[in-house]
Amino acid sequence: MTLTIIVVVVALAVPLLLITLRGQAAGSKVLENPAEHIRSVDVEAFCNLVDPDEEEFLRLHLRPADFRRIQRERLRAAAEYVSCAAHNAAILLRLADAGRHSSDPATAEAAQKLVDNALRLRLYALHAIPRLYLGMILPGSRISPDRIADGYEQMTRMVVMLGCLRYPTRGVSAAL
Amino acid sequence: MTVSLILWYYLWVAPKVLQVILLGGMVRRGLHRQFPMFFLYTGLQVVQTGVLLAISWTHFGFGGEYFRAYSATRAVSAALRFGIIHELFSHFFRRYPLLIGTGRSVLRGATIALLLVAVGGAAFAPGNSSNFLFNVTYTLDRVATILQSGLLISLFVFSRYFVLSWRNQAFGIALGLGILASVELPMSVARLYGLVSSTVFDFVIMGTYHCCVLIWIFYLALPERRPRQTLNPPPEHNLDVWNRELERLLQR
Repeated sequence: MTLTIIVVVVALAVPLLLITLRGQAAGSKVLENPAEHIRSVDVEAFCNLVDPDEEEFLRLHLRPADFRRIQRERLRAAAEYVSCAAHNAAILLRLADAGRHSSDPATAEAAQKLVDNALRLRLYALHAIPRLYLGMILPGSRISPDRIADGYEQMTRMVVMLGCLRYPTRGVSAAL
Repeated sequence: MTVSLILWYYLWVAPKVLQVILLGGMVRRGLHRQFPMFFLYTGLQVVQTGVLLAISWTHFGFGGEYFRAYSATRAVSAALRFGIIHELFSHFFRRYPLLIGTGRSVLRGATIALLLVAVGGAAFAPGNSSNFLFNVTYTLDRVATILQSGLLISLFVFSRYFVLSWRNQAFGIALGLGILASVELPMSVARLYGLVSSTVFDFVIMGTYHCCVLIWIFYLALPERRPRQTLNPPPEHNLDVWNRELERLLQR
């Protein structure tokens, strides 16, 4: 009977997924005013949160119980930053995807680069977020902050460039 | 001829007639080159029905010969449906080459996990017929449907996470296959446990298939949706924009 339940649940999940995901993937509402949906990301604060030297400093100057509590908080905040960066990347992906078909080669190239950067960032977020949560349980699990920070900077640069190429980024670069 | 028999023949033959139209439409729009597996699947469905119909009209009727041919055609169809799912993944890989590695890992991982679940489920499922061929055919069918449903879910989750845009045709193909797999799966389990008769099973599956063919025709007939962006009118003070953006960059 368990098999039946599993199978039925899986079977019902397919059309539901198909319909809901199609609607969400379109994301037309987000594209109407993308700047409103952008979440603020402080890259420097993020780098600080996952800096091993900072962690070492806190370890040396705090009691073990306090250090563990604060480190958990820091990692939770870092995960939140990565999540916001991935969310912004998703919006930029939608925005840039259309630009890849632009008749202007410079716009098409910049949009393609933005798509690649945003995909890279989401890919990295997929690895980084579980590792940050794992770090809360098992101290010592680290992520490389450079990849997120550099990825985010590159993405922002491409949005600025697209804005300058008169591509309708609709105030997104200012919100990033 | 009873009404249910007429309906039964209608549901058997009508989708295949529609699929002939679908094949013609695909060739006319050049879609057979973009979705060769789906084209092959559609073509073979038409041929298979022709063969099965011919067998059923001979002295063999719906006996052993018919069921052997039916089992063989089911196996070919299942294999081709896997090909279509692979084709849909490839559709994304072509448009987003950066995701080839990740996408292949997702596809491989999902296939292995689903295969284990499906084979495990099949091993513990009861056989509801003394006929070995019946049992093997239905069991393999269930394994294939579980795999296909799972792979389609993986495909949609993958495209959702990476915010990948679907082309109309690819989405229509996936939608049709998804609906078909999601109806086939509970129905085959219901039949396995004796909750529905084979007649009800046939009607539901054939009716669903008919709907799926209509979905495929609808989506494949749609014009390709190009993401459109209207360009803003040129800013009056271009230098101001450049300066503002450069200042923002320098502040970072």
